[in-house]
This record gives sequence, structure tokens and C-alpha cells, in this order.
Amino acid sequence: MTIIDKEPASAIDLIVEGFDAAGYICDRHIATSIYLSQKLDKPILVEGPPGVGKTELAKAASELLNAPLIRLQCYEGLDESKALYEWKYGKQLLYTQILKEKLGDLLEDAVGLDQSMTKLHQFGDSFFSEEFLEARPLMQALKSEGQTVLLIDEIDKSDHEFEAYLLEILSDYQISVPEIGTIKARTKPLVFLTSNNTREMSDALKRRCLHLYIPFPDADLERRIIKTRVPELDENLRNQLVSFVQQLRTQDLKKLPAVSETIDWARTLLLLHAENLDTELVRNTLNMLLKFEEDIDNMNTEVPKFIAVAQKEAR
Amino acid sequence: MDRPLAEFVEMLRYADIPVSISESLDAAVTVQLIGYEDRALLKDALSQVMAKTVEDHESFSRCFDEFFSYDVELNLEEALPPELSEETSSEDSENFDQDSGSDDQEMPANQNAGEGGAGSGAGEARQTSPDGNLVDMLEQNDRTALTMAMNDAAGAVNLSGIVLMTQRGLFTRRIMEEMGLDQVNREITARQEGGDEEGSQDLAGRLESLFDTVRDLVDRQLAQTSSGKSKQFRQDILKNVRLSNIEQRDFRIMREIVRRMAKRLTDMNSRVRKVKNRGHLDIRKTMRRNVAYDGILFETHWKQKHKDRPRVLAVCDVSGSVASVARFLLLFLYSLNEVLPKVRSFAFSGTLGEVTELFDQYGPEDAVPLAIDKFGGRSTDYGRAMEDFKELIFDELDNRTTVIFLGDGRSNGSDPRIDILKEIKARSKRVIWLNPERKSIWGSGDSEMLRIAPYCTVADTCNSLNKLELVIRDLLKTS
Repeated sequence: MTIIDKEPASAIDLIVEGFDAAGYICDRHIATSIYLSQKLDKPILVEGPPGVGKTELAKAASELLNAPLIRLQCYEGLDESKALYEWKYGKQLLYTQILKEKLGDLLEDAVGLDQSMTKLHQFGDSFFSEEFLEARPLMQALKSEGQTVLLIDEIDKSDHEFEAYLLEILSDYQISVPEIGTIKARTKPLVFLTSNNTREMSDALKRRCLHLYIPFPDADLERRIIKTRVPELDENLRNQLVSFVQQLRTQDLKKLPAVSETIDWARTLLLLHAENLDTELVRNTLNMLLKFEEDIDNMNTEVPKFIAVAQKEAR
Repeated sequence: MDRPLAEFVEMLRYADIPVSISESLDAAVTVQLIGYEDRALLKDALSQVMAKTVEDHESFSRCFDEFFSYDVELNLEEALPPELSEETSSEDSENFDQDSGSDDQEMPANQNAGEGGAGSGAGEARQTSPDGNLVDMLEQNDRTALTMAMNDAAGAVNLSGIVLMTQRGLFTRRIMEEMGLDQVNREITARQEGGDEEGSQDLAGRLESLFDTVRDLVDRQLAQTSSGKSKQFRQDILKNVRLSNIEQRDFRIMREIVRRMAKRLTDMNSRVRKVKNRGHLDIRKTMRRNVAYDGILFETHWKQKHKDRPRVLAVCDVSGSVASVARFLLLFLYSLNEVLPKVRSFAFSGTLGEVTELFDQYGPEDAVPLAIDKFGGRSTDYGRAMEDFKELIFDELDNRTTVIFLGDGRSNGSDPRIDILKEIKARSKRVIWLNPERKSIWGSGDSEMLRIAPYCTVADTCNSLNKLELVIRDLLKTS
């Protein structure tokens, strides 16, 4: 990519702009990690609370690089046959059937068992060959001709064993298939791993990745995000809304509202043709921001106070 | 890798950020790409390459600021031509790092090589220092000579041996004395007496700024060596110290150790699960599965060994007699709850109640005191607790359940209801009794341990974290 070959500072600025155009508002910190991962050929391990745009980052990067996004959703019990490769059993079966039929013709002139076996060994062994290999997401990313963006989503949900499978891909961009050998990447994909930190990733995995932590955005960044995502929303209301959410995040809540929730809320307010935050409106729509009954109950009393501050700040 | 980076890596390691060799190589490439000029960008970039957890990011940020903002500021720079002072200021920071290695043997060589522009000044200073003319050096604003004298003095007083915060003043003083503090003080006094008020104030001012510089040097060395070491040191100590002797302020560190321990234990356990996919081929199931493939065995099915994670019921005594230990036993229970899904915890002193929900709801800082508040404070009554336990949970005991009692077995004279314990033992897989008291005093006074012990699968002393870990490891291994 041409952007990458520029001076670091200007390349990073260009990445920020590129993301901007793709509708993903980010700071230089995030852009730096994209730049570094391209330069150092390293995957990026993205951590942060849910809803801050970890998955979105991969999507935006795929748009920016104009490379297809290959996504692997991790879950407990995910194994290599679903993530790396699988043999096409059915086709292999058919192959043996055909072989059975053709065997007579092929071994026609062979005399005795020994000769037949020698003859048989002369044929290429295609039972375990790439034709019978069903490529799963990780393999797809390696076999792709052009550059791809590989998103390994919620890696923390997978098992320890799966993490170990990944190590080879992450460090050398290759997969070893015991029956065939090593398959190397044609073009190195840009790899994102996302984690909600439900468990600590192993040191081996961390060592192979760049570590990017995306926190909740500050007010300014969040305003810009809302502006891009919900452009129809009136500026004054946008400011109030962001200020309200920012105040909410300072509270002790079971689940803090993330950016995605702010966007949802902004869309809701737009639908309701709201012009200003008022207590009634906020109380009715608070369930867009808070996802626990307890949190909503606790915050109900605080709503008027937050609105007052938000309106003051927005002015 | 260039020198400043190598030293920075060293510093990070001391600050408990585990920077591996491959990571430091990455860092070197990053530095090559980005350069040292744009500090904000460099910080962004390096933080992603070298710090791999959120906590590490914080300490990284601190270390970075400390390391790269540090320049030798003697506040006397006006005296130097501007271009020279710029040139040396970046070099000086390097010299300081070398010094912290306390290898004063190689210092002069490095110094001269590093100093370059100010080389001649350094040469002169070398001949006349270390003692004798600190006054002159201060008067002449000879930055190079001062820096060298400071480095020499730091080496002479073995600054790299600094471990504790409280030693800062001492080391600062020693370095200053080594550099010739007394002489300067005498000079100042002499000038005052001689009526040269201005001269003495001027010199005192310069001395003060030198003091600041030396203090910075000491602080920096402390940051480099002590924080990491002392943390490790503390952790090692804490693991072995008697639980009752651990102070409140170490609670945080304890929590971390306990958490790590509990995690390691469950990690060990979770690996066992994979084993179940090996072993004997289950012919019947394999045949049935492969009917679709014309009877050719493509998919195999193995006889599975079921490895159950243990169902653990933990009962913790929180009465006055074990109050000092109870916090930590509860803390351990809490951590166990975090990593093992099937732990149910109970606490008692008089009556017994379940605290599992409490643990689920609150963080450990809140949950542990709450549990003590709720159930603690009364005098122990094991009989009552046993009755409550039987009523609450007896039906759920089965041959896979492990019951852990944490308590001293001192029942204040009341009947400990050994009969119930016997029933529990008969029904559950295992009963483990962990007692913070030494075995030699079991049975003394109102201790019922000698009567209790026979009805436990294991009854042991457990008064340090290491012991606790051993017990829990056994628990997971044999399950």
C-alpha cells in the first residue's frame, strides 16, 4: 500500500483520514497500530470494553485497504477443523470409489501382488492433497491471492488449545497440515484479534501481537463519532447527548454504556424528533443506554442532574 | 539495538513489564521507523509493541515519561553557548544511564566518547576532579565536569545498591559529600564572613541546583532498580508469611498473588479436559456414524473419560478467634469463585449462611468485609454451624462434592456435632479441614480438632499462601 511507504507521521495522518472517509473516527493511537502492523508484519490484538468499535476497526481497515474481510468468530469448543481446514470426506470417498473401479484397468498388465503394489505406488497419492482440503477462514486468508483482512473475533472465548493453533499463523503466516506439509501465505493478511478480556491471553500469543487498547472515547472524539454516524442529529442535542453519556460513564454501573449504545440512543432520539434532552424523554429511553434493570433504577434519580449539566455544557 | 533503547527495556523489566527479546527487537525496528524526534508518536508506537496488558500500558506510560523526559538540567545553561548545550543535553541522559549500571570502570571512556563537543572540558575536569574544586566547577558552570564528578561519586557510594524510598536522602547526601560538599559549604561560610554576601548567595544557589540534579539522579536509579525488585521481594515474602501477620496494606498485592495462584491451578485443571478425546475407540458409535460413508471409517468416535471439575463447597469460620486469617481465607474463596464455576461458599461464626451471591455481586474489597460483617463477630459454635450446614445444603451433597472447612476447630466448649461431620464425610467425596493453627496445639483448650480430624479425608495446618496452594492443587489433581 502506498500510504505505508510514506514518512511515519504523514502515513499515520493519512490513515486517520482514510478511516474518517470510511466512517470510522479514530485517534492517532489506533492509526499508529495499523501503520506498525503493516510495517512490522504483526497481528494486532485489540482489547477494550464491549462496544468501543473493536470489530468495526477491522471492517474499516478492510475498506481502507480495499481488501476483503475474512471473519472468524471464536467460541468455546472451536477447533482446527472449523477454523483452519477440514478434509472433504465425501469427495475423498468418491475418489476411492472411482479408484476401485479404475483399479482393474490400471493394474491390467501387472503380474502378481508385488508388481501391482509397485505400480500402485507409482500413481500420485492424491487422497490427501490440496484438492480435498476444505479451506476454513484462517486457511482462506492465507490462500487468498490479494491482501485480506483477517478478523479473529473474541479470541478470549476460545480454548487454550485453539490459541496454540493460532501461534504458527500469527508469527509466520503459515499452517502445517500433517498430511501435506506447510502452507505459506501468498500475501500476508492484516490480522486483527479482538478480546473482551474475559480471560487473560497467553504470553506466547501476546508476544506475537501488537497490543492495542481502545478505551471509551473522550467527549470530543465521541461527538465526532456521533456526527459521522448520525449526521442528521442537531448539533446542540448531540452535545447534550454526549455529555450525558460521559457523565453516565463516571457512575458505578454494572455495564457502562459504550459508543455503540450512544449511537443507538442518538438514532432513537432522532426517530422521536427530540430537540432537547428532558427528564421524561431520557427516562423513557434510558434502556437504550443501560442494559441492566438495576442500573436503570439506580440512575433514574440522577437523570435530572445529568441533564442539567449536559445542557449547561452544550451551550 | 541502540543504547538508550536497551536501557529503556531494562527499566521496563524492572518495572515488572515482561519485555521479551523478540519484543525488544520489534521495538528496535519501531524506533528505526519512527525515530526519537516525535516523542508522542514514539510513545504510542512503543507502548503497543512492548506493553501487552492494560496494566502494563499504565506503567509503560510512567516509565516512558520518566525515561525520555529526563535530561541533566543544571539550570546553569546560560553560561554555555546555546548550540553546545543542546548538543550535550541529549548525550548527558545517556551518561546517566550508564552510571546507573554502576560500572565506573568503563565510564571515563564512554564519557569522552559520548561527550564529543565538550571533550576538552571533560579532560581538564578529569585531571583535577573528583575532590578539591567543586567550587570552581560550580563557579565556572562546567557542566561536563560536574556530570562526571557526579557519576564518579555515584559509583563510589554504590548508588545502584539503593532499594528503598527512605534511602534517597542518604544517597543524595553521600554523593554530594563525595563530590566535595564540605568544601563548598566552607567556601560559602567564608564568603559570608568575608562580607561577600552576593558571592555566597550565588554559590549557594548553584549548590542548590546541583543538589536537585543529584536528587533526580538518585530518584531515577531508585525507579530503575528498586520498584521492580522490591515488588518481587514483597511478593516472595508475602507468600511465605503467616496469614495472620499480613497487614492491611498488603491486601492488594495479596489479592494479585491469590488470583494468579487460583488461575494457575484452574489452568492446570482445564488442560485435563482435552485428554478425554483420546483413549479407546468406541467401535459401536464409530460404525453408526460412518454408515453414511458406506461403512468406511472416516469419522472416529472415542470412548470418553469424563473429567468433572470438582464441585466444591467451602465453609469458612469468620469468628473472632480466626478473625485475622478469615479475611484471607475469604479472599482465597473469592478468587476460587472467580476461576472455578462451581464453588459455593459459606461463612459462619454463630449461624451459618451462604456468601456465594455476595461474592458474585461485589468486588473482593467490598465482599470480604461484608461477609465478615454479616456472619462474623459472634463466638464460634461449630455445632450450630454444622446443623445449619446440614439443613441448607445436605441434600446437594453427592459423591462428587468436596467440602472444605476453613477454621480453627475451637467451639467454645459447645458440642461440635461430630456426628453431622461424619454424615457429611459419608456422603461427599472428600472433606478437607484446613486449620490455621499448628498441629501441636490441636486439642489444647477448647480445640476440638483431635475429635474432628478423624472424620476428614485431610486435616492439615494451613497458615500461609504456599500451603493453601498445595492443598488446592491436590484437590484439583485428584478430582
